[in-house]
Amino acid sequence: MSHSSEKPEISPAAKRFIIALCIICFGLTVLEFVIHRHAYFALEGRPMFFAAYGFIAFIIVVVGGIGLRKLIMRAPDYYDAGDDHE
Amino acid sequence: MNSLLPSLLQIPGLLMVFGAVLVPILPHALRQIWMLAVIALSAWLCWGIAPGVHMTTQLAGLDLILVRADAITRPFALVFHIAAALNVIYAMHENVRTTATAGLAYAGAAIAALFAGDFVTLFIYWELTAFTSVFLILISRSERSFAAAMRYLLMQVSSGVILLAGAVILWHSGQGLSVQALDASTLAGGLILLAFGIKAAFPFLNGWLQDAYPEASVTGTVILSAFTTKLAIYMLALCFAGTEILIWIGAVMTLFPVFFAVIENDLRRVLAFSLNNQLGFMVVGVGIGSELAINGTVSHAFAHIIYKALLFMSMGAVLHRTGTAKASELGGLWKRMPLTMIFCIIGAVSISSFPLFSGFVTKSLTIGSVAKDGYFVVWMILIFASAGVLEHSGIKIPYFAFFGHDRKFEVKEAPVNMLIAMGIAAGLCIAIGVAPQLLYGLLPYAVDYNVWDAGHVLGEMQLLLFAILAFVFLMVRGLYPPEIDSTVLNTDWFLRRLLPRLTMAIARPILSVWFAALGQTKKLVMDGLYVGERASQQTGLVSGVASTGAAAGIFLAVFALLLLLLFSM
Repeated sequence: MSHSSEKPEISPAAKRFIIALCIICFGLTVLEFVIHRHAYFALEGRPMFFAAYGFIAFIIVVVGGIGLRKLIMRAPDYYDAGDDHE
Repeated sequence: MNSLLPSLLQIPGLLMVFGAVLVPILPHALRQIWMLAVIALSAWLCWGIAPGVHMTTQLAGLDLILVRADAITRPFALVFHIAAALNVIYAMHENVRTTATAGLAYAGAAIAALFAGDFVTLFIYWELTAFTSVFLILISRSERSFAAAMRYLLMQVSSGVILLAGAVILWHSGQGLSVQALDASTLAGGLILLAFGIKAAFPFLNGWLQDAYPEASVTGTVILSAFTTKLAIYMLALCFAGTEILIWIGAVMTLFPVFFAVIENDLRRVLAFSLNNQLGFMVVGVGIGSELAINGTVSHAFAHIIYKALLFMSMGAVLHRTGTAKASELGGLWKRMPLTMIFCIIGAVSISSFPLFSGFVTKSLTIGSVAKDGYFVVWMILIFASAGVLEHSGIKIPYFAFFGHDRKFEVKEAPVNMLIAMGIAAGLCIAIGVAPQLLYGLLPYAVDYNVWDAGHVLGEMQLLLFAILAFVFLMVRGLYPPEIDSTVLNTDWFLRRLLPRLTMAIARPILSVWFAALGQTKKLVMDGLYVGERASQQTGLVSGVASTGAAAGIFLAVFALLLLLLFSM
């Protein structure tokens, strides 16, 4: 991810949002041990399956997108200068 | 003739198609009232149509079923009317008769298609949706939109022709023309599935969607987003419920657009990828084919039309005010367009399936049906794709438009009519999410699934909130990819680049041979003329022996031949 953006400055509002998000995620983690989740598949029944899968899936989507960008990203006028006008 | 028009107006949707004829000649205010009145009357007529065959006719020896309703027809017809009405309200600020006329006729054609009981009747409406909707793209009046419109038309008409071919083969095999459950492994079934697949934007047949929709006008894209693809889903549900290949096609459809949407810069095009992803969930439901899955597909289509329209409306409002829908040029609009931002976020959380919003109570049925039937891999793909939906529609769209880097736009809030349309759509998203029984009551089967199961709600919240946590992690670490103004290659590349190049590769040798032959012929003629001239000098053929008329004739023939050669070059 060498072409990734620089670390952005975090505004106070964003900090508050991140703290609130972390508290909610912590709460959802606690609830995992309180509420029974009915599972159709063994993997689904594992503790924190959805939390882990959500986090990992998101990362894969973004990283996959970055990889795809190298493959299929072209200049904005790629078609305008190309065969559309031939 | 006197009885023909009333009979035609009894066909659902045609009231709107014929009503569109008056739209161009009505003044602005009256036009809005007229369109809403026609839509309301049409909705009322459709609501009263119970499942069954209601109108038949014979044409050239063919038994046609002009009006037939199925158990899933009513929810589709209802939401098509809602979308049509929302479109009218959303476009009230503009005085563009073409959009208004085409939009009403397009919606009417799509509604008429829902009630088509045979494939020939369906073919007519299928093509009518294509020819009416293309004006919504052409109205942008740019060279780029014209080219996109032509490619759109090519794909749409091709779909219709393939549908007709399938219908003819079906009829020839003695199965009749009625819209019926089909076997995809037969030639007729395969062709009809392909025709539906083009309009449903199956993988590799999807390029037209992301190519054309974002090229339409601000209001045109909203109209386009509702009908064509959902009509295809409806037809798939009628003809191919339980066809297993659709489970896998649908799974792929949910998956690949999420990666494209990450890197797409045009936010309306991101929504077009998102639309493709959502269609995938519906196709999976059709493939599963169980009562729960069909309920899932129908309810998801219903909710999707509304929240997708809401998202397109919010991005349309942004485009209308700022002149751009590119993520790389947007940001910080929450201060200037707070209501649009709120409506966009409601659309975003609805499509992301947050509990208490419409996506949750509908998509859960499809994913639940997949789990119930034991398709583990497909289930994993759908859950993965759900995180992907959150990424592009739940976070990317609102974040880059309304938050992110503040571009200091000095713009006003969206026009009031746009806000009203978005407000109604947002209200419906919440109403369905909070009271899903409102929608469940319209479904073909009783809903035997508890979406409010505490474990299910917990799992969904964990999936979404930890995915947002991943976004925050990537942003804080500076790892989230920046938005870059670019062209993302899609399957329309085959039509726009590969096909012309292949054509040229084939044509070039043929043209070379042609021009070489032409050159040789020219040389022969010139040599002939030279020899003739020499001969005439010796024999006086052209200069005295022959008559003046004959000489003039020879010169004229030579002159014509030269002209022919010159023009053919």
